[in-house]
Amino acid sequence: MAAEHDSQNRDSKNPQNAMRHQHRRDRVNDRTETGSFPVIRRKPPLSDLNRNATRSRIVTSVLVMLLCALLGFGYMVQMHNTQSSYESMTEDELRRLFTETSAQVSKLEERKTELIAQLNSIKAAADKQEQARLIAQQNEQTSGILSGRLPAKGKGVTISIGENANHPIDAATMFHLIEELRNAGAEVIEFGGVRVITSTSIRRSGDDLVCDDQIVSSPYIVKAIGDPSTLQSAIDIAGGVGSTLKLDFGATVSVQQSDEVLISSVRQLPPNKYAKTVE
Amino acid sequence: MAAVLGLIIGIVIGIFLQPDIPIVLQPYLPIMVVAALDALLGAARAYFERSFSDKVFVISFFSNVITATLLVFLGNQLGVGSQLTTAVIVVLGIRIFSNVSAIRRFIFRG
Repeated sequence: MAAEHDSQNRDSKNPQNAMRHQHRRDRVNDRTETGSFPVIRRKPPLSDLNRNATRSRIVTSVLVMLLCALLGFGYMVQMHNTQSSYESMTEDELRRLFTETSAQVSKLEERKTELIAQLNSIKAAADKQEQARLIAQQNEQTSGILSGRLPAKGKGVTISIGENANHPIDAATMFHLIEELRNAGAEVIEFGGVRVITSTSIRRSGDDLVCDDQIVSSPYIVKAIGDPSTLQSAIDIAGGVGSTLKLDFGATVSVQQSDEVLISSVRQLPPNKYAKTVE
Repeated sequence: MAAVLGLIIGIVIGIFLQPDIPIVLQPYLPIMVVAALDALLGAARAYFERSFSDKVFVISFFSNVITATLLVFLGNQLGVGSQLTTAVIVVLGIRIFSNVSAIRRFIFRG
């Protein structure tokens, strides 16, 4: 009561205050509620809805974050775990791994023995090849000397035939001389600087003899490698080619034995066109 | 934003904690991770399609993980665990690829 009185006192002093007071009183006094009308509740303010949305958004974000964190966590754990593999394997897996490894080992052992066998066979083949190469080399030397492809030296005789100018020596007789030397076992023969091979021919051309397209003139030097005494006797034997030369053609024949007859002339043979080796 | 943040937080926790997961869970964790990745990419796709729903995301996340785990578990019981693991990985991989291509289409409109 004292307060009201006090305010009334103040109202009387200030007309604005008095008006405000009147308003307040009017609001109470002018109420239209009768109780017979339903009270319509006010629409909830917009801010309330906004708050709801914000909350749901936050919840969503937190959920997403949580699940993503779970994923990242799982990922890192798994990565860490794959680095230390054997400790965390199950017994089954370990057993399988062991079986696999031992199978692999046995397979590798098998492969190793296989490879060793292969290596041995290759080594043997290499040895064989080496032998074959040596034989081929020997053959090459022998056949090279035989065919006139290689120079040769050894014991033998040097025959010097001086021609009588009045009686030129028959090519056939010369060839006969070479045949005689061959029969006596001459391995290599040279006629006037021309290597005698299987296809050698001798013919007369004017004053000179032509041996395989090379002119050979007197004195004819024939070198032969073989047993010296046999060769000498083949020439000097009575009724042999030596006496024929001396008697029929008046030529001088001298046979010199030597421990070192060097035959350096060689011949290049074309490869065989028709003849082939028999396997 | 939240997804990236969450991923980073999870990776950091994983790095610093380095927990030893139980041996029982060992064969399932990689499958779980891949399944979760698939769910995450599906959510990203839905987000780009403006049909993202947190409920659907959570449910798909857990159902993916649990289904994959159960499948592998079943495979282990039947003795075809490794094959089923491969099958699950293949299927999830295909889904991841399709999700990524959908997202790519949304980003580049191509």
